[in-house]
Amino acid sequence: MGNYFKKKLSFISFLFIPIVYFWDPNWLEFLGVQPYWPLFWLLPWSMIYGSFDGLIIGLSLGLILDSLSHDSSFTQIPGLVLCGLWFGKLSISKNSFVGHFRFGLICAFASVFCGSLYFFQILIKYWSADTYFLYLPSIKNIFAQVFITGLLAPLLCSLLFRLFQRSKGRDKLISFINK
Amino acid sequence: MVDIRRISTNRWWNKKNNWGLFIFLLFLFFVRISKGSLYKDFYFLVSRPFWPGQFQREVLTKSVEQEFLIRLKQLEKDNKRLREILSLQRLSDSESISANVISRKTGSFWRHIILNKGVKDGVEIGSFVVGPGGLLGRVDNTSLFTSTVKLLTSPESKVGVWVERIQMHGLLVGSGNDYPKVIFYNKDVDIKVGDFVLSSPASTLLPPNIPIGIIQSVDEEFKAKKTANILLLGKPQAIDWVQILKVEI
Repeated sequence: MGNYFKKKLSFISFLFIPIVYFWDPNWLEFLGVQPYWPLFWLLPWSMIYGSFDGLIIGLSLGLILDSLSHDSSFTQIPGLVLCGLWFGKLSISKNSFVGHFRFGLICAFASVFCGSLYFFQILIKYWSADTYFLYLPSIKNIFAQVFITGLLAPLLCSLLFRLFQRSKGRDKLISFINK
Repeated sequence: MVDIRRISTNRWWNKKNNWGLFIFLLFLFFVRISKGSLYKDFYFLVSRPFWPGQFQREVLTKSVEQEFLIRLKQLEKDNKRLREILSLQRLSDSESISANVISRKTGSFWRHIILNKGVKDGVEIGSFVVGPGGLLGRVDNTSLFTSTVKLLTSPESKVGVWVERIQMHGLLVGSGNDYPKVIFYNKDVDIKVGDFVLSSPASTLLPPNIPIGIIQSVDEEFKAKKTANILLLGKPQAIDWVQILKVEI
């Protein structure tokens, strides 16, 4: 049983991302904004399993988080898909060493990217109604999120990276390409 | 004979991995269709032991006092008006539903709270939610045990309001930060810092005269519109208990 859980660790942890998304503890806030949780999981996972798997799992994460966030007009899918693709390029198979603090830097960049994509969707939607200027102050959310995501990433990503590597028996259920 | 056996074992449905992938895709499809209600109900059960207590009075006393002052002033005016007008929008006769906030996203672009009362308790989509201080938002989605409230600060929230002092209608728009804005489609409107903002008597979505906030600052006029920043009286980041009310129109 323990072995089974070890083997399926990445998949089981994937199912718990929405629970962490709901939990969103107040004591991890910076300027009222909490970290962008899915990146902490997506970065180590995509690094181990590669670009294509990263893309697919980014899409899956986006679908689930969009369903939970109830903003019918905006989506998180493009940001997460492109991040999954990018993180996969940093794959460990390329022997490029990624240190603890580089995890933070990568997550901070990814958070800027995802936050900006979401922000531009809001601007584009309200551009024609001439009310886009009402949403400009919310750019603060992006900067706060980048800071707190970059701060926590070294700790969480390193931990998850080590756990996923240990259970690397290549969980076939979410490994979409046979290597 | 051997070949037939080899072909039959090579069929896609005989491969365990394909079934796993199929079940995973089915799971994704289910989450999408159900709008995550399975997750929300699971979170309801998991988070139950950690639900907040009732010791928030010190923090919220100020908001409650402000709310009572505005209500008192408004009730006096309403008394006079109701002697002349007989039919108005009114609250449902049924009792309000008290609910506990079990999850909140009050920062970033996603702004909603999840309550521990759902379809099972009679919550309906479109009901409005008030907390100490005044209006917080409207119920946007329900599952069996939970309901999701879109806050007034959400970028997708739009509510009709009016400024009681000058009796002028406006549109309250969530801007993705803690200070939603009111748009007045009249550049000559005489709004001042400190004016009370209430739900509009003309709104078909909300009952009239629920306290919402106070005008904090007034922006420069832009294309025949005047906008103002609102300081909300209800503080969703601090509130643990709310009331869900149905509106009868």
